[in-house]
Amino acid sequence: MVPSKKEALSENGRAGLLPALKDRAGREGSLNRESMSGLAGQYHLPLNEVYGVSTFYAFLPVLPTGKNIIRVCRCLPCHLKDAQAVIGSIKKELGIAPGETSRDGKFSFELVSCIGACDQAPAMMINDKLYGDLTPAGIAEILKSY
Amino acid sequence: MGNVNVNIDGRKIRVREGSTILEAATANGITIPTLCHIKGQVPSGVCRVCVVEVEGSKTMMGACHTPVAEGMVIHSKSPKVIAVRKVIVELLLTAHTGDCVNDSNAENCALHNLASDYEVGAPHFNVRNPRFYPAEESNPYVKRDMSKCILCRKCVKVCGEVVRKDVLSIGYRGFKSKVVSGFDEALTAEACRDCLKCIEHCPTGALSAPARV
Repeated sequence: MVPSKKEALSENGRAGLLPALKDRAGREGSLNRESMSGLAGQYHLPLNEVYGVSTFYAFLPVLPTGKNIIRVCRCLPCHLKDAQAVIGSIKKELGIAPGETSRDGKFSFELVSCIGACDQAPAMMINDKLYGDLTPAGIAEILKSY
Repeated sequence: MGNVNVNIDGRKIRVREGSTILEAATANGITIPTLCHIKGQVPSGVCRVCVVEVEGSKTMMGACHTPVAEGMVIHSKSPKVIAVRKVIVELLLTAHTGDCVNDSNAENCALHNLASDYEVGAPHFNVRNPRFYPAEESNPYVKRDMSKCILCRKCVKVCGEVVRKDVLSIGYRGFKSKVVSGFDEALTAEACRDCLKCIEHCPTGALSAPARV
């Protein structure tokens, strides 16, 4: 629902931005300039604010991204369980470093803050699916299923 | 609201309830350094150089955003405060890259003045990836050199809350945080014409008036 100008300017309207961004990113895969300026207009917010909010959250992919987004947790528990080896394995498998998108546009690879799966460290998410207790050797098989 | 009694650096001071420690100190001629504070605006307390010691408090308090309370005993220049402030200035300097780093005449840079007041030498933190951005000179009204920016957010605040133009925001997060306009583009806004309030408030020279052609 499009908020009225009065609603948008109130704190509630501004609070609506984040769910709207999440919704848009979920439906379209990522946020592009068009969708961000659209929401800026809808919520009567300056473009820079919408962009600032979007780029703050790792789960709001802003740049053109691959079809699937791999998010590997880089926080302490995963680090201690050797997430570094898993990251190395993904790098080797896809030939891209964190922050990059594979040439075929199939995967984007990112390192993110805690994804709340410390009990299954090292953990990663591909799109909405959680993969825990990862081993470097098991990565290839997981990626193959996409 | 009534008045409360506080003690700052051994001086008994009576101030209006609800004042901040900074306001109480300033009104009584006690100087506490600030970088991110704008008088009259809601304090943000992000730069931390105004920290003071409050007896009975576990941690140091930011003077610009901590309201006074009856019987507070505050030290604004104790050795502990000075030592902490030095480290804060040193940390701010690590993310402040620019020509004033080796310019002894960098009088316009409040951070450098503070560093020399507090005798902070070259930072001894190891900076692996210095924050570096090319200077932007595309705007005829404001020159931006974001390598010098310490993210005090004064420009964002002035642009949004004082002049209500809302051209600037903070983008990204953590070490990559940066003041952005639009989709992190060079500042081209025509809104900047005849305003220049952000330049007035920038403590580090990250924002300056371009040289007239």
